[in-house]
Amino acid sequence: MSNDLHDRAKEFIARRHVEALTPADQRWLNDHLADCESCATEQHQLRESLSAFRTMHIDLPRNLASRTQLRVRMRAEELREHSPVNRLIWAVAAMSWMFGLATAPLVWRGFAWLGSELHLPKPVWISGVVLWWAVPALVATGIILFGHKGHAGASE
Amino acid sequence: MTDDAKALARGLQRRDPELLDRLIEQYQFRLFRYLLHLTASHERAEDFFQETWLRVLERGHQYDGKWKFEAWLFAIARNLVLDWHRRKKPQSLDSLAGPEEDATFDVKDEHSESPLEQVLHAEQTSGVQQSLEKVPAIYREVLVLRFQEEMQLDEIAGVTGTPISTVKSRLYRGLDAMKNAMQRGAV
Repeated sequence: MSNDLHDRAKEFIARRHVEALTPADQRWLNDHLADCESCATEQHQLRESLSAFRTMHIDLPRNLASRTQLRVRMRAEELREHSPVNRLIWAVAAMSWMFGLATAPLVWRGFAWLGSELHLPKPVWISGVVLWWAVPALVATGIILFGHKGHAGASE
Repeated sequence: MTDDAKALARGLQRRDPELLDRLIEQYQFRLFRYLLHLTASHERAEDFFQETWLRVLERGHQYDGKWKFEAWLFAIARNLVLDWHRRKKPQSLDSLAGPEEDATFDVKDEHSESPLEQVLHAEQTSGVQQSLEKVPAIYREVLVLRFQEEMQLDEIAGVTGTPISTVKSRLYRGLDAMKNAMQRGAV
C-alpha cells in the first residue's frame, strides 16, 4: 500500500472529528481501516486521546459560585447607585435650580403682589418663595431616598 | 431569536440578580474548565471566572441573543485573558504556541476532597493533564470548545474572533499535538 493512501487515511481520521466526511470518503476510510492495522491503530489512539480529554476530571474551587454571586450582587448594587436614572434626577434638579434662579425676580414680584393682594405679612409670602424654590430639591431627594429604600428591600 | 434568548437578553439588560445567580450556577463548571485550559492556572482561572461574571453584569445590555449565551460568555472570558496577557507582555494568545514554563496544569483543589479521593482522581487524570501541558494554549482552547463544549466551527470562530479556516487548522494541529502528547505520556 502506498504512503499516499496512509496519509489520506490519517487526514480523514482527523477530519472526521473536525468536519463531516462525505459518504464516499467515509466508505473509503472504513475499507482502508479494515485492511490497514497501522491506520486502525492511529484511529484508536486518537479516539482514546479524545475520550480521555472529554472525561478529564476538574475540581471546582470551593464555593466558587456563591463567592462569585456575592461579588456580582455587590457590584450590581454599586452600579445601581450610579445608575443613569440617578444622573437624570440630578440633571433635572440642576436644571430646575438654574431655571428657578433665572426666574427668581419674577417669582419674588409675583409672591409680593399676591402677599399684598391677600394682605399677608411679609414673612409669610417670603416663606412661600422659599418653599417654591425648595420643591424640586425636595422631590429629587424623595425619589432618591425612595429608590434606595426599594433597592435595600429587594436585596434583603 | 428564540423566546428564551429574548428573555435572557432582557434579564441581562435589567441586571436581574436572580437570573445572574442562575447563570453563574449553570455555567460554573464549563466556564471554569475553559478558563483553566486557557490559563493553565487554578488561581488565575478563578480570578478570571469572577471577572467574567462582573463583565457580564456590566455589559449585559450588549447581549442581543443572536449568539448562544455560552459563546458570548466565553468570548468575554477570552478577551479578559487576552487583555491580561497583553498587559503582562505585549502579545496575544497566538504567541502561546509553545508551552509556558509556568503553565503547569494546577487543577487540584486540595481542600475539596478526602486524601483517598485525591489519590484516585490524581491517578485518573494526572496523565491527561500532564500531557495537555505540552499542547500549546492556542490549540487547547479550540480543542476545549470543540470536544468539551461541543461547539460548531462557526461558534468557535465567533468566540476566538478568527476565520473558520483558522479554527479548522488549529483543530487539526491541536488534535495531532494532543495525540502525540498523550502517546508520549503513555510511554
